[in-house]
Amino acid sequence: MTLTPTLLLAGIERTLNALLARDPAAPARLARLSGNRVLLRLARPELSLAIHFHPAGLDLLRPQEDTDDAFDAVVELNAETLGELLGDESIERLMFQGKLSVRGHVHLLEATRDLLLDLDLDWEGELARWLGDVPAHSLAEGLRRATRWGRRAHGEMRSDIAEYVFEEAKLLPGKHQLENLRDHLTELEMTTDRLEARLARLRRQLQREASPR
Amino acid sequence: MSPLSSPGDKHTTHFGYQEVPVDEKASRVADVFHSVAARYDVMNDLMSFGIHRLWKRLTIERSGVRPGHSVLDIAGGTGDLTLKFSRMVGPRGHVVLADINESMLRVGRDKLLDNGVGGNVEYVQANAECLPFPDNTFDCITIAFGLRNVTDKASALRSMTRALKPGGRVLVLEFSKPVNPLLSKAYDEYSFRLLPRMGQMVAGDADSYRYLAESIRMHPDQETLQEMMEAAGLERVEYTNLTGGIVALHRGIKL
Repeated sequence: MTLTPTLLLAGIERTLNALLARDPAAPARLARLSGNRVLLRLARPELSLAIHFHPAGLDLLRPQEDTDDAFDAVVELNAETLGELLGDESIERLMFQGKLSVRGHVHLLEATRDLLLDLDLDWEGELARWLGDVPAHSLAEGLRRATRWGRRAHGEMRSDIAEYVFEEAKLLPGKHQLENLRDHLTELEMTTDRLEARLARLRRQLQREASPR
Repeated sequence: MSPLSSPGDKHTTHFGYQEVPVDEKASRVADVFHSVAARYDVMNDLMSFGIHRLWKRLTIERSGVRPGHSVLDIAGGTGDLTLKFSRMVGPRGHVVLADINESMLRVGRDKLLDNGVGGNVEYVQANAECLPFPDNTFDCITIAFGLRNVTDKASALRSMTRALKPGGRVLVLEFSKPVNPLLSKAYDEYSFRLLPRMGQMVAGDADSYRYLAESIRMHPDQETLQEMMEAAGLERVEYTNLTGGIVALHRGIKL
């Protein structure tokens, strides 16, 4: 069991370093980060992760009894915030919302995120090493064309299905119809509340008049 | 027979299951490693199914090494630990890769140079029993899969403690005694039957790998090594069993 997290971290580190090695822009970014240490401390689930940058990539380690002063930046957040951070949410906004705490060099967190999110993998170059320039270019061009067709077909299919369901077959109400319905329901709710209050007042009045003086 | 207090301790010691003169052990161990140096990494991966990399990773995590630290990697072999340490200590720190065996040291140096490691690493051919460094020099000393090959383990541990700075830590990663009897049985079958055959096929040398299996059985178990480290002057000595005790990581601090 002791080795399971170590194995996971080793796998992630290896994958990230392999991806970084294929990004032509990574060496320049890594050179700026090289030598820095960032401590990532997750609150839920409780987990600490040390990232050491070096010119060839990064090392991921589980810190043992390291104190915060051994790191250039200490980042504290929860898993949800980590997701938002990797989803390109503004670091400043997360800090102002109190979801993210950064001590030390704040720019290191931004540089780390840019390094991972802006990975631009030169797949065609890597393919060319194995297949040769011309076959690799043809294959890459074919894949790009297939991707473009896939995106266009997906968009068209969504729009056709929406048109059929909402406009032609009228199986579901459209967005505007839904909003209209919601407004009517809200008005009905308020009117019912008012009527209920009036009835309650009348009931109290009748009880007062019926009671012997 | 205990490896610590065998009769005639002054004159003979064990070399695997054989008794050899004390003066001869170092040269016989050297012969083993001259023979396997070129294929050491491949054999380690094959023999441990790659798990030795995880054992070494855990050692690095427990080392507490920081930028600017001085680290001594004894019996560093092909430089797996040194490679990581050199990145962790950065340009302000330094790492010494020491090995008694010239062939292993040369393979380690070439591998590190190929990985772009240079400025902060020194290579020293040294015997762990009498380390050629002043007192209180290093923040961390590691010895991974090397202590069992040392003739006088107690001297080596004392020498490490002497070279360690107060507050520094010694980490010993070494084969140990499996805690589960079933695992122990399977492990014996594997080491005495399969391992020498693998050694013959990959490195062309069955005897060296037979020695490896025998030397592991002659090495002190977890508690004995803990006592030896405490006797050498280390404090707060603790150990972690890895892979069911096949390997144990001992850590001690000099206060």
